[in-house]
Amino acid sequence: METLRFEFPGGRQFVRRRVQVGVVASGNLEVLLEPEFSPVSQVRVRTRVDGYREEWTAILRTFFERHDVAAAIEINDGGASPPIVLLRLEQALEESRR
Amino acid sequence: MKMDSFAEKTARDRARSLLDAGTFRELLDPFARLESPHLPVQEIVPQSDDGVVIARGKIGDKNALVLSLEGGFQGGSVGEVNGAKIAGALELALRDAREGKLIFPVLIFDTGGIRLQEANLGLLAISEIHSAIVALRKFVPVIGVIAGRVGCFGGMSIAAALCTFLIGSEVGRLGLNGPEVIEQEAGTDEFDAHDRVLIWQTLGCRRRLAMGQIDLLVDDSVDAIKEAIVTRINIGVTEKQHGMVQRTRDIAEQTQKIQNHSTPHLKPDAAMTGFSGRGRRWYNALTENAAENTAKNGSENAEGKSILAGDAQWGTETIRAMSVVPNPLSRFPRARQGQMGVEEGWGIARAIWGAIDSDNPPGKIKRAIVAIVDVPGQAFGLHEEQIGIHLALAAAVDAYIAARALGHPVVALIVGKAISGAFLAHGLQASEILALDDAAVEIHVMSEASVSRVTRRSLREVAALAQIAPSTARDVHSFAGLGGVNRLLKVHDANEPDTHSVEEVRNEILQAIQRARADAKSPRARLDSPAGRASRTMSREVRRMLESQWSMEP
Repeated sequence: METLRFEFPGGRQFVRRRVQVGVVASGNLEVLLEPEFSPVSQVRVRTRVDGYREEWTAILRTFFERHDVAAAIEINDGGASPPIVLLRLEQALEESRR
Repeated sequence: MKMDSFAEKTARDRARSLLDAGTFRELLDPFARLESPHLPVQEIVPQSDDGVVIARGKIGDKNALVLSLEGGFQGGSVGEVNGAKIAGALELALRDAREGKLIFPVLIFDTGGIRLQEANLGLLAISEIHSAIVALRKFVPVIGVIAGRVGCFGGMSIAAALCTFLIGSEVGRLGLNGPEVIEQEAGTDEFDAHDRVLIWQTLGCRRRLAMGQIDLLVDDSVDAIKEAIVTRINIGVTEKQHGMVQRTRDIAEQTQKIQNHSTPHLKPDAAMTGFSGRGRRWYNALTENAAENTAKNGSENAEGKSILAGDAQWGTETIRAMSVVPNPLSRFPRARQGQMGVEEGWGIARAIWGAIDSDNPPGKIKRAIVAIVDVPGQAFGLHEEQIGIHLALAAAVDAYIAARALGHPVVALIVGKAISGAFLAHGLQASEILALDDAAVEIHVMSEASVSRVTRRSLREVAALAQIAPSTARDVHSFAGLGGVNRLLKVHDANEPDTHSVEEVRNEILQAIQRARADAKSPRARLDSPAGRASRTMSREVRRMLESQWSMEP
């Protein structure tokens, strides 16, 4: 297991409510998304698979480029592929807007 | 019309789907951040709800509590936090029920049983769950649902069998030992875990219905499951008696079924070497061979000699002592070394109910029940699963809890091994647990070899794990450190009890009986012992937080 921390500055839209999606199963992950009231989004990733910091950076950058949000995000990862990670992040954001 | 699959949903969505629209309120939700502290230190990613969802709400307009296990996370296994969530919620429902506030509990099982990484903490939690289910049954029907991909195994299969009403779906499976575990413990000749037909014919809920071990079989559909639950709750509202579950009381019928079941005609095991004789020796020493009385009491298993049960008179106290011992003649080869098998589970149940029934007349003093524990595990076998060993063990658990509730002091004395499902069924429901302070006394949930295979760790790593996770240790001091032992008893020779040691142990048991007469403690009380307070901090924190969120109006 590896714990990674990231910061993404500049997001302008607040998350309206906190949500949890997903399960820490094999090839799957859990995302906890919460409002972040500072201008810097905080992300903590705990992943089963060590040594993929660059890949996580790329996935998260893609997410924050697509969405102009400020959020605190926790990811508990059971070894999901990048598309699944992005899908869960999008799903969490979608649900937070409902 | 397309059915809305129940099995495909997550634990949270399952709970939501069963509650009336708009009434779902989750307690200790993911943002309470009550995850397992034991997994990250073992390099395992935890989940924010530790794989259990507690939801209050309405089902068909009645107050309901839904406890839903997430099979996707660590196989739905039960550890300290999620075990405390389930036990704590049931305990609060029980408190409310005693105050006349009825809340209908529904347990959605999707679990492989005890989480090996939290071993004895999971074991203790499950004993608390068993106790709470049986206590709650007096007030409301406790409804179980087995409709997930994992199924329902291990100590939680016993919990399922204790439920008032058990619903299974076509995709559900129920058994004490899962196919992989049996294969690991007993080899592919005993059970081929790749044989899907065999698995479903043995463990599938359809089969369990035919065996009378579940009450209703439904399609894998949210609507079908919800309708079944609403119907049973409505029966529960009008019925006042739920305490007795016929499933675990059909002792004569089940004994007949076991006798009718054909088993391989194997020769008796000639050599008894390597088998522990401690259970028999301590039983004989403490009862002065009361086994001779058992025929009169009708409490001994007529078939085998794997159960010693008899009454002894200690001063003014009558005690019914029971021990499960090796039996090389057993028709069930997997139960020959003193394991808890089908005959042993029902046999213990019969011995306890025999004592309960004898002392039933008003004015009679309830004799003490003393469990002498040296059980190397449950029997891992195909025949056991075909017959329903989970039910046999549930019958024993049910009997112990009934005895305790009816005023019989229940005390356990661990003289050798106290392992996993066998210990759940024979020992853990006692008000007090005494244990010999001896290196050969072991308390754990699975052999080191199996833990090594299942968790993909080397044997050396498994041994080293005990240092950072005391719940995975095997020695009696570690178990006492979790609050699992009331008194550790030093004896001269645990293997060969001498007169002096026997006298001391007898006095300790008598004192425990006196304490149990004054206060028939349930397993939950172990949390309040000094050791329990110090080591089971999460079990206590979960309950504290749960209580603070319990009564908030939605």
